[in-house]
Amino acid sequence: MKLNLYENKDNLDEHVDVYYSNMRPVIRQLIDTVNSERPKLKGRPADEDLDDGEEILLDPKEIYYLDHIDRKLFAYTKDGVFRLMDTLSSCEETLWNYGFVRVSKSNLINVYKIKQLKPDMNMKVYASFDNGERICVNRSYKKSFNEYLQRIRRMG
Amino acid sequence: MREKVVTFLVELCCVYTLVSVGGAIVNMLIGGQTNNLNVLVMFMTCFIGTLVLNLHKLFDRVSPLLMIIIQYLVACVLCAVMVLIVCWISGETVDPRGWYEFYRSFTIPYVILAGYYYYRVFSDTKKQDDLIQEIQKADREREDKDVIS
Repeated sequence: MKLNLYENKDNLDEHVDVYYSNMRPVIRQLIDTVNSERPKLKGRPADEDLDDGEEILLDPKEIYYLDHIDRKLFAYTKDGVFRLMDTLSSCEETLWNYGFVRVSKSNLINVYKIKQLKPDMNMKVYASFDNGERICVNRSYKKSFNEYLQRIRRMG
Repeated sequence: MREKVVTFLVELCCVYTLVSVGGAIVNMLIGGQTNNLNVLVMFMTCFIGTLVLNLHKLFDRVSPLLMIIIQYLVACVLCAVMVLIVCWISGETVDPRGWYEFYRSFTIPYVILAGYYYYRVFSDTKKQDDLIQEIQKADREREDKDVIS
């Protein structure tokens, strides 16, 4: 993507024009950034108490997957596990344009972070990540997962 | 619920049509014959098969392989009950050879279809994995391009 920057000290009306052929995720991200709406998830280290741990802003790009266990939501990243105070469905809505797709009732995975998708001998399909973890892609979500991948490819 | 029933009936009609046409072709080729009772048993077998396969959502938590085995066992039990009811109504008994033939004609297509399903899981996953690699590659190239610009 070509980027033109124009500096004008006298300009009082700073603005950004975006010329695009189709609304790709990268364009969407650009718009969100300009609108200061780029999603940042607030999380605390999972191994600390909620009151003690320092709140950290998580970039969706760094997250492998989200896991909903015992009514708690966790984000798994290269640097560790963080507890989020959002719900899985709100995260699904927010992160839809950032490569996150639902693969089971309790998991949302980042397709840009999948190392490999492979079935076991018992025909369960698993998505494996760099941190060595595996997440099962549930049969019920197989169709929507496939549609999401096709959509990402078309838009990319 | 109504939609599910309609879908089930449509599937049952398709399965029964395929099985009866297939059976008629086989009978023509090998010179076999059928009777009204056989036609009803064939319909009931199709009904049980379609019903059991439609229950797959109940086995969402177990592995597909286990689901296939459970569905096969459930179908076997239902078929045995059906045959016993038919025998009770018609007042006839089933020869041991009859049981063997019945389960053989039921098991062979089931195993073939299960094998096909097994193959589809692996081939579909391979395609999805290729798609993911393609998406990631395009994303990396886009990021590199943006950095260079």
